[in-house]
Amino acid sequence: MLYGCDYLNESQLPQIHTKLAIALGIVILAVMLLPILAISQSTGTIEPGFAGALGAMRQAEMAGATPSEIAALVALLNKALELNGEALKLTAPGDANRRTQLISEVDQILITVQSQAHDLTTIASHRSSTNKALTYVLGIVAAFVGTILFGFSVSFYRAYRIKRTFQMRITRK
Amino acid sequence: MSFLSSQNRRTLITVFITLLIVCEMLAYVATTPRPQEQFFQLYVLGAHHMAADYYPNNNTDISIGEAVAWYLGVVDNMGSVQLVSVRVKIGNQTIKPPDDQNATESPAPLVAEYMRVLQDNETWETPFVWTITDAVSTGGSTHLLTLQFNNETYQLQDRTASGGHNFRLIFELWTLQPDTDTFQFGWVASGEHRVAWLQVWFNMTSPRLA
Repeated sequence: MLYGCDYLNESQLPQIHTKLAIALGIVILAVMLLPILAISQSTGTIEPGFAGALGAMRQAEMAGATPSEIAALVALLNKALELNGEALKLTAPGDANRRTQLISEVDQILITVQSQAHDLTTIASHRSSTNKALTYVLGIVAAFVGTILFGFSVSFYRAYRIKRTFQMRITRK
Repeated sequence: MSFLSSQNRRTLITVFITLLIVCEMLAYVATTPRPQEQFFQLYVLGAHHMAADYYPNNNTDISIGEAVAWYLGVVDNMGSVQLVSVRVKIGNQTIKPPDDQNATESPAPLVAEYMRVLQDNETWETPFVWTITDAVSTGGSTHLLTLQFNNETYQLQDRTASGGHNFRLIFELWTLQPDTDTFQFGWVASGEHRVAWLQVWFNMTSPRLA
């Protein structure tokens, strides 16, 4: 600890520098993150499960799910958005039951989407790796076939040249 | 076979390795997704589905009860599925528009929000018919009180313009970030924060008197 006008000894200086560096780092980080934090807003108006469902769908996409496979999930998610919007409009106390029912339907759809997206990720991932392996194997096969064709071509060309040589005639000029 | 002499065998091996490299490179190119530019498009079209005829009779002065028909569209070119939200705000001449440089939203009050999940390369277009259903004039200023978007009525607070001139509808594109579960104004692509927004100006010079 430092009191009043005590002087710092050499062993205390590096500690102060480290603390200053950490504090400076936090300030810089806060300043850098400020624009990002300022423009982010809580989802408030939609159920929290939407983010999870969207994340799962993106994973399925990255795993190689086809647009038609994703389209089915997108349709479900849009249906959930529609129901979520309907639920938000029901603000009267008498609509509480209907609102709860709609929200539970939304949650159910989100669970379905997430589960189907996970299944799709597994299937698409397996399919993608199989396709990739097959493509590389095809490359090896193509190289092998190409080499055999090259060998035969060279062999035939040589036989042709030998035949032509023996067919030559020597004529006096 | 005379062809399989040691020299020929070496030639064949060289050819095979060369072909193998070429074929595997082709296989790599075929199986690796190409990076694409990630962006959204946000647009508003006029009544005839063109970037024209935004106002009835080409008159920017909108009367109470006059329906203005537009088409609002978003195109997802992000290379992935996205949950987008188009936020409609109402501003006047003095309120700040969104800031492209700092990627910050307009402080204008939010009136309505439209959400949609979009696939890569999908276009979502929806009719956007709006009407000023109530406006009042006090002290030389026009106050917009209620607006209708697609037959839904929205109450407005403190939307005033001097003489009823230079009101504007501001459309901002927001995206849901699944990792943080928050909506973000614009999107991040290649480490860069980008935004898309539009504004359409109009006047309301024939309000009812208070």
